[in-house]
Amino acid sequence: MVKLLIPLLILLVAVGVTIATDEDGPEPDFVFINRGDVTTLDLQKMSWSQDLRIGRALFEGLVGLDVFSHEFNVKPGVSERWELSEDRKTYTFFLRPDAKWSNGEPVRASDFVYSWRRMLLPDTGCDYIAMAQIIEGAKEFTTWREQRLAEFGKEGGPADARALWAETEKKFVEMVRLSAVDDLTLRFTLSRPTPYFLELLAFASFYPVYPPQVRQYEVLDESSGRLNTKSGWTKGGVLISNGPYMLTGWRFKRDMTFEKNPHYWAKERLGFDRMLMLSVEDVNAQVLAFRSGTVHWLSDVAAPYRAEILTQKREFYREHQAEYDRMVAEGLDPVEIDRRLPSDPRNRVGAYSAFGTYFYSFNCQPKLKDGRDNPFADKRVRRAFTMAVDKQRIVDQVRRLGEKPVSVLVPPGSIAGYRSPEGLPYDPERARRELAAAGYPGGKGLPTIEVLFTKDGGHDLIAQAIKKDWEEHLGVSVELVMKEIKVFRNDVRGQNFMVSRGSWFGDFGDPATFLDLSRKDDGNNDRKYASAEFEDLMNRSDNEQDPAKRFELLHQAEKLIMEEDLPILPMFQYVEMQMYDPHVLTGVSSHPRQIENIQDFDILGDGKGPDKPKMLPAKRRGVPGESDIRSRGAVRTDASSSHARTSTPESRSVGVAP
Amino acid sequence: MIPLIVRRIAQFPVILLAIYTLTVVLAWAIPGNPLEKPEGRQPPAEVKQAMLRQYNLDRFDRFYVSYLDSALGIRFVRETITGEAARRASAAEAAGLAAPKRYVFDLGPSLQYEDWRVNEIVASALPVSVTLGFCAVAIALVIGVTAGVIGAVKPNSPIDLITLVVALVGISLPSFVIGTTLVLVFPVWLGVGALGGWGNLDQIILPAITLSLPFAAYIARLTRMGMLDNLKADYIRTARAKGVPESRVLLKHALKNAFLPVLSYLGPACAMAMTGSFVVERVFSVPGMGQHFVNGVLNKDLFLIMGVVLIFATMLVAFNLAVDVLYKWVDPRIEG
Repeated sequence: MVKLLIPLLILLVAVGVTIATDEDGPEPDFVFINRGDVTTLDLQKMSWSQDLRIGRALFEGLVGLDVFSHEFNVKPGVSERWELSEDRKTYTFFLRPDAKWSNGEPVRASDFVYSWRRMLLPDTGCDYIAMAQIIEGAKEFTTWREQRLAEFGKEGGPADARALWAETEKKFVEMVRLSAVDDLTLRFTLSRPTPYFLELLAFASFYPVYPPQVRQYEVLDESSGRLNTKSGWTKGGVLISNGPYMLTGWRFKRDMTFEKNPHYWAKERLGFDRMLMLSVEDVNAQVLAFRSGTVHWLSDVAAPYRAEILTQKREFYREHQAEYDRMVAEGLDPVEIDRRLPSDPRNRVGAYSAFGTYFYSFNCQPKLKDGRDNPFADKRVRRAFTMAVDKQRIVDQVRRLGEKPVSVLVPPGSIAGYRSPEGLPYDPERARRELAAAGYPGGKGLPTIEVLFTKDGGHDLIAQAIKKDWEEHLGVSVELVMKEIKVFRNDVRGQNFMVSRGSWFGDFGDPATFLDLSRKDDGNNDRKYASAEFEDLMNRSDNEQDPAKRFELLHQAEKLIMEEDLPILPMFQYVEMQMYDPHVLTGVSSHPRQIENIQDFDILGDGKGPDKPKMLPAKRRGVPGESDIRSRGAVRTDASSSHARTSTPESRSVGVAP
Repeated sequence: MIPLIVRRIAQFPVILLAIYTLTVVLAWAIPGNPLEKPEGRQPPAEVKQAMLRQYNLDRFDRFYVSYLDSALGIRFVRETITGEAARRASAAEAAGLAAPKRYVFDLGPSLQYEDWRVNEIVASALPVSVTLGFCAVAIALVIGVTAGVIGAVKPNSPIDLITLVVALVGISLPSFVIGTTLVLVFPVWLGVGALGGWGNLDQIILPAITLSLPFAAYIARLTRMGMLDNLKADYIRTARAKGVPESRVLLKHALKNAFLPVLSYLGPACAMAMTGSFVVERVFSVPGMGQHFVNGVLNKDLFLIMGVVLIFATMLVAFNLAVDVLYKWVDPRIEG
């Protein structure tokens, strides 16, 4: 037996050593769960909201967004001020001299040129490349480089990777109208006036990476001529960033640690010295981690019982009905209402309308993938199927998250100054008439309708509800086709479907972020919807200088796809749920654009940071005790007012049914 | 003993190549584009095609060969000999920065976790899985052998019945039920132990117990059976007749022989405890290897799939070898 114990003993010692060497750092001021885990910290490769959120905490762009203003104002970041030319195409940004990288080096205008070139190179694989292609010559540059890469190694094409790269660097300067005038001045020209471009600059893909560092990881591939970036520079203690916080540690699938960037120009505004992000992927464990007090903030509640969590909060509101009603009447921010109500475990969840729409897609092509005729090529059929869906019932009985049913694509009330069209109502009678007019009276002559969806996230329940509506109201037979996400994605991209579930979250505060989805050549037009009239309206809006007239054109475009053509059947506006104690944590924004900035967060009363509650200003004027967050020193210039906004969007809590 | 080890080690590459080929074929057959994100924006088609080309994901033959090239260390040797590596290092040095890390056995980049190489993922997850697996097996051994011996000494007694029931429950209840129950009872209700995570002893205990129960149950049954057989044997009667104390009879004479089947079970059990912990890892948020098996396949992350499969195939073969060697050491009569 002793012989047997020896290996066991050795193992135990090994285990003991492993555990002992695995130590945690100093106590963080703020612990959070950021969805499940972060995918990448390479700014130009990001596309998940949780990655972009960390991107905004680690880096800083030319400008930022004030999430505590109803208008979602653009505020200065690395640039102190900016100018816009008469023709509204040329921007000149003046960088603040005290903007520094976390190694103490100053942030230069050329850093932005380098980073944006990186964004435009097809080698990088930036999902948001189209945003940067608004710059004059940018699209042409990308196309040129891609062509040269495709010809690489072939007869008559380039053969030497280094020579091609040198040529590319030259071409970039020649073709793209973007340049660093001096260390602190950045100038670029757009191909057309774009009223929302300033806001795009607050998007993390436009933030700068530290060129001397990234260059070390760039490798020219001799066999393809491509410039590949090796991983490794985004690790804890390695990554150099210019934002409020810096990355001190990143243990794969375990945690990330952050520290205040000692060189950040506005570091006294920050709420924490140290932050810890835990990587917890199980949705139930996430809620448990919050409830047990392990984390201060859970960015998304995805647990299957989230509808129950919300029901409890409504109960809590009912117990304080009078007080709650009074504060709602005062127009107070829902976040602030929660803070003024008594502390209660049920009061530690926030649910706010998000900048995203859940919808169903109709395949608009004349033939289906298998060669059959596609009934949904006829817009009358699409209209009929749209009007036969009882969205209110789906929201009330299936989702139960207080989401708002919508009949338009752009979430109503989320963009200041934009007027949503009516859309089509729920009207089974009219739906049947439309279907009959299309040649399918009572559903006769229609093939079995196949509805494509994925299993997780409750999509199956919604699909069942829709099946019931269509079978009951239209007399058609519906088959539910559930597929695994990768297969689903393949089918949708290849138009191998009749009807499929879909969703879209906007990237910037302009209706175009939703409406572009239906443009003929858009990479995300899975429905292959193509309409000359719609293209014309969108093109005209692109060239319209007057913001009000432009919104009117976009209104007409949305009216066309939401009342006439219906490539998309809009279902409801998403609600995002997060968990935090409003008496402890401040900085959460309830704005319907739903952007949470960790760098704005602060623990109340811990002696670090400003320790003042942050909120959207009350909508009714003259409410006592309201501090205007906008007075935090936003410099308004002529440029920022180009984004004319006439009314304020509606910020809404879904805590209580009206 | 030496010929046995030599022969087994000679079989290593053949087995691994077979596993590699089979895995790469299966992984390639997973539908979908590994570089495509399931939701949200899509880069233009040309960009996507270029990305596939970058990783040789557009051609099976090129992927098959190039992966072997880097995973086996051939590329490392080649780049060292041709001076390509030195050239890159000096370029980095000239700029005053550290050159990107090189690996002898480069398992490639992860397609899903773009900032990580599979080597780094394995380096961070493998120690966790190994620790958890060994702790679980150690707990299983203690519980299982104790229960087995007690059961064999007093067969069909109430205490034997109880161990039988516990063993049955341990084998039949899935670990997400046991794990979730333990989480509810200890950290949530009683406030003892950690909810999840990894690093401290209190974070290891609960997942290790959850993981150990099925193994403990099986070991208990194996020990009990072996003990019952041996206790009836002539040499035990002789020992008792000689007046050897009962505890010595049980632990020294009977258990030594009864333990052999348990020992042969330990090889696969160790490998299973380290690989089969996906559910436990999820319930307790343990950053181990199990999740990468499942997520790798779900995301069609080819490099990650290949990396974890190869690592585990190597471990499994190695464990079986180790058990064979141990076996022979404990009982020299066994032929290799």
